[in-house]
Order: sequence, then structure tokens, then C-alpha cells
Amino acid sequence: MKYVQYVNTVIKEQLSANSNIVLYGQNIDAGSSLSGLTRGFKVNEGFIINTQNSENLLVGVGFGLMLNNISSVFFMKQMDFLLLGIDHLVNTYNIIRQTNPNASFTVFPVTVDSGFEGPQSALNNFDDFCSIAGVEGYSFTNKQDTQCIISKFLFKPGFRILSTGQKLLREEVLDLKVEYKDPNCKFFQYNKGNNATIICFNQSLKYGIELRDLMLKKSLTSSLFSINSHLNADYEYIFQDISLTRNLIIIDDTKSKNRLSNTFLTEVLSKCSINRYKIVYREPQINDYFPREDSLEIDYKGVINEIFIKI
Amino acid sequence: MTEQHLKIIHKIIWLRLAQIAVNNRYKKGDFNVPIHLAMGHESIAIAVDSVMNKTDCLFLTHRNIHYNLGRMGTLKEDLDEYYLRDSGLAQGHLGSMNLSNKDKNIIYSSSILGNNLAVGSGFALGNKINNPQGVVFISTGDGAIEEGVFYESLLFLKSNNLPSIIIVENNEWSLGTRIHERRANIDLKKLTSSFDIEYLLLEGNDPFEYLNHLKLLRSNAELNKTPVVVEVKLTTFGFWRLKNADYPEGKFVNYHAGPAQDLQVKEYPLIGSSFDDPLYVLKNYLSIYELKKIAVDLREQIMEEIS
Repeated sequence: MKYVQYVNTVIKEQLSANSNIVLYGQNIDAGSSLSGLTRGFKVNEGFIINTQNSENLLVGVGFGLMLNNISSVFFMKQMDFLLLGIDHLVNTYNIIRQTNPNASFTVFPVTVDSGFEGPQSALNNFDDFCSIAGVEGYSFTNKQDTQCIISKFLFKPGFRILSTGQKLLREEVLDLKVEYKDPNCKFFQYNKGNNATIICFNQSLKYGIELRDLMLKKSLTSSLFSINSHLNADYEYIFQDISLTRNLIIIDDTKSKNRLSNTFLTEVLSKCSINRYKIVYREPQINDYFPREDSLEIDYKGVINEIFIKI
Repeated sequence: MTEQHLKIIHKIIWLRLAQIAVNNRYKKGDFNVPIHLAMGHESIAIAVDSVMNKTDCLFLTHRNIHYNLGRMGTLKEDLDEYYLRDSGLAQGHLGSMNLSNKDKNIIYSSSILGNNLAVGSGFALGNKINNPQGVVFISTGDGAIEEGVFYESLLFLKSNNLPSIIIVENNEWSLGTRIHERRANIDLKKLTSSFDIEYLLLEGNDPFEYLNHLKLLRSNAELNKTPVVVEVKLTTFGFWRLKNADYPEGKFVNYHAGPAQDLQVKEYPLIGSSFDDPLYVLKNYLSIYELKKIAVDLREQIMEEIS
């Protein structure tokens, strides 16, 4: 099953469990229905609206619905479009958050990450949207975290952003064994090992899996985590793991300069005693502004050597 | 003169006096929050208050004192909110520019130009499920209609058949620039006509005329499930003249926010001497003697409430 079909199915489960809801966005019930993401949606009382192209207005509309006790989801073809709604993410939300709403409002943009769309359709800075006003945000990448996050948050009272990557949506759904799941779905552990802890941010779990597998070939075992929440969380469980392995590798594929992984590292350094750490993040390059494949270039061998050369 | 007419006259005079009471404390430096007084906006505020049904809701801008006070009819809770006291209307959590009052169906106020149009549009969509009889009133201004969201909102409200009344308070000013100093003219009649949205221009500050028009517009909005746009020409009083060597005759400075320092009012709190001032218009309905008597009684009532 393609990942997009899986996400679509998990959302449909939530639609059938809720009523009096509004689903809206451009072409969500027309054409390809956002490449299948929103195909075949039905609601128990409420509306599905193929909207006009007015993202600023439409983010405000979700908050207005919320004030009227109507839960809604605004599906968005790509995360860049959400830039037009920042006034509401900040200013409107600053008032709404005081009201303890009974209704939910979820913005569901796809993170366009193929790179071939060009310089204006390649924003993956989820951290920035969340940090600008303390907005809850969750990304997901596989069968396990998708099920957990969508069922927990899609219609939970309050406001948040949920997103996954466009590239992943086109691939087969990733089915992983979960070692540990944070009760609030803020992070997942997919492997337990002794030699290093790998922490993946944004959409970078696939790189972490590759690194884990390469390390295993060298008889090095690792604990593998993916951080789903784009706001800082309680990472005590992860800190315990890092304190055991004492080697840390952070992978973050965001283009943001305001990385949650930096905050995470600061906390690790103040709380854990570690031997070595390595951060792999995106160095700005001119290709970021050309239509080229968007890929985090990782010298896996170099990363492993840096951490383990003296072992 | 019916009882309802007399009540509206009382409300308009009270609203002017209440704002003067706020201004008197503001001049003494009592408030840290910026307050945008709306002296000169009383007729439209009271007409809207009078035409709203129990199912109707109101979405306001940073200049919201006239609607908030007009619908409350009392001053103390608003005043306490401006003082940021726990006893304030919103327990001191909203201040002035974002002041709303759910009990009076004032759902949301925004200090960001055009922001309330989007939130009001969403609320109107929610009414389709929750409250089919309700009409959403959204106040905006001649500055905010320059924002793209004004266009987006009209399109959304019309496309989704949402009963709503957009009130464009046109005082010609955005901070320190008049319309002709900052932009080309916007012909709202033509703009709204392109969306097939009814448009009406109100001017002259006659509250009863405003009320009659608004009743018809509200009925149209509700029955035909459509937005309508009302442009109201008005003057925001509180302006002053800057006198210095460059301007020996005095240069006109528009009132935007803050205390109206030069405001001098007499027994009957008239500020303008033409139809620009809603209190001047009331002279068409009652003698100045009667109006003064009402003002004296209301001033006493206000002083008693807030002393």
C-alpha cells in the first residue's frame, strides 16, 4: 500500500468517528484530491468544501469555526501556502488559546520535499511555523506514528498543524517495529542499541534508518528515535537512553535556521554525560534555490568514524 | 416619538458621555493600554445594536469601544478592563484593542487590519450548522478594505451563501493619511456589484434612518443567505490643531488613538456643529432643552456608576 493511501484510510477512520465537522481546502474533493490524500472523504453532518484560493482568509476561517464550536481540518497542498496565514497562526491564535475551545482546528499541509518544484515550493521549515507562536505541530513518516498522531490529534480540541512529506506519500508505507512510544506521540523509538543514540528530526527518519543499518554491518547497535513534535517536549526517556549509549547522532533535514534539534542538543548537554556527539543538518547551498532533488547529503562513513574511531 | 426612539436617543447620548468619561481618565494618564475612542461613531453603533437579534453576532476591530459600550449600556466593567483589573470585562486579559464580550454576542475583536473579516467569515460558516437564523455583523474600516483579506472574505461569504453584514466605517483616515493621500479611490458599490452583493451607503448620522436601512439589509442577508456591505461615512472626533512657527494658523491633526486632549464639552456633549456629529442630528427629534436634561441625568448616572 502506498503511504498516501494509508494516511487517507487513517483520516477516514477519524471522519467516521466524528460529526459536525468541516473539511476544507483547495481541490480536496475534486481532480486528484491532493494526489489521493483527501480522496473519498465523507462527513457525518457538516461540510466538505472545495475552497477558493485564499490561504490567509482560510486559516482565519478555521479559527472562526472553532469559536462557533465547529471542528474543522484545512487541507493544504503544500506547506509554503501556510506562509500566507501567519497572521492568524500568531495573532488570532493568541486570542483563541485563551478561550479553552471545545472544538478543534487542524491545518494539514503536505511538506513538499521533492525539490524539483523549484525555489518557491520547497519549504520544509515546520519548526518555524510552530515556534513563531508556540503552535503544536506533529510530523509523521510511517504506519505506526501516522496512526497514533492522526487518531490522537486530528479532532482533539484546540489548534495544531499536522504534516507529512510529499516524497513519502508516493512510496510504499513504512511499517516499523516500535520499541517505545511517547504517551503523547511526541516521539517514537524504533530500535534499541548499545553503541549510539540516533535522533531524527523533521522528515529525516529514513536517513536514521540507513545509518542504523550501516552501523549494524560494523557490529555497532544503535537506539533510533524520531521526534514527531515540533515543539520542545519532555525527553527524559531519551536522555536515559543517551546516558547509556553515551554517543549521540542528531539528524535534521529542516531548512529552518531555528531548529528544534538545537534546543534538544542544548538540553542533552546540560543533562547527560556523553562521550561524543555529531549533528548532521543541512548546510545552505545554492541548489536549495534551483529545481534539484532535495536530499540531505550524509557522509555516513564519516559520521560513524567521527563517533567511533577510537573505540 | 416612540419609546424605542427615545431609548435610542438616550443610548446615543449615554455612549458619548461614557466615552468622555473614559477620555477624562485617559487624559490624566490612567491607562497603559491604547484605546481608540469612537466619538462620532455613535449612531451606527447604536443602530447595529438595535437591529441585532439574539442569534446575531458581532466581530470588531481595534476601534470597538462604541460597540462594546453600546451593547453593554454600562461603563464600569469596560473601564476596569482598560485598567487591566481582575474585575474587568475580560479579567484584564484583552485590554482595549481585542475586547470582546460573548454575553453580548461580541465574539471577537482584532487589532490587525482585516483579521476579523476572516474569523467572522469562519463563524458565519459555522452558523450553517449551529445557528441557521443568525446573521454575522463584521465591522471594518476604510483602511482595512485595502487588505487582500477584504476581497477574500467577500468572495468566501458570497460563495458559501453566508448571511452577513459588513460595516465599513469610513472616516477617511488611516492613522495620519487621508484616503486620497494613500491610495486610489475604491468604489465599493462597483466592487460589491461585481460579486453580486448588495451595497448601501449611509451618511448623515440619523440613527433612525440607519436602523430602518439595517433592518431591511438584515432581512435580505438572512432570507437570501447572502452578505451585504454597508459603507458608513463618519467623522472620528478628537482631532486637534498643531500650532507652531510653520503653522501659525494651526495644522489639522487627525485623531487616531489615545486621549483627545483638546476635547471641550458643555452640558450637552456636542462636539461638532453639523450632521457630522450624531448628537447634533438628535436636535431634529428633541429640543436642546430636552436633550440637555437627558444628558444631565445620564452624566449623573455614569458618575454614580464609576465613582
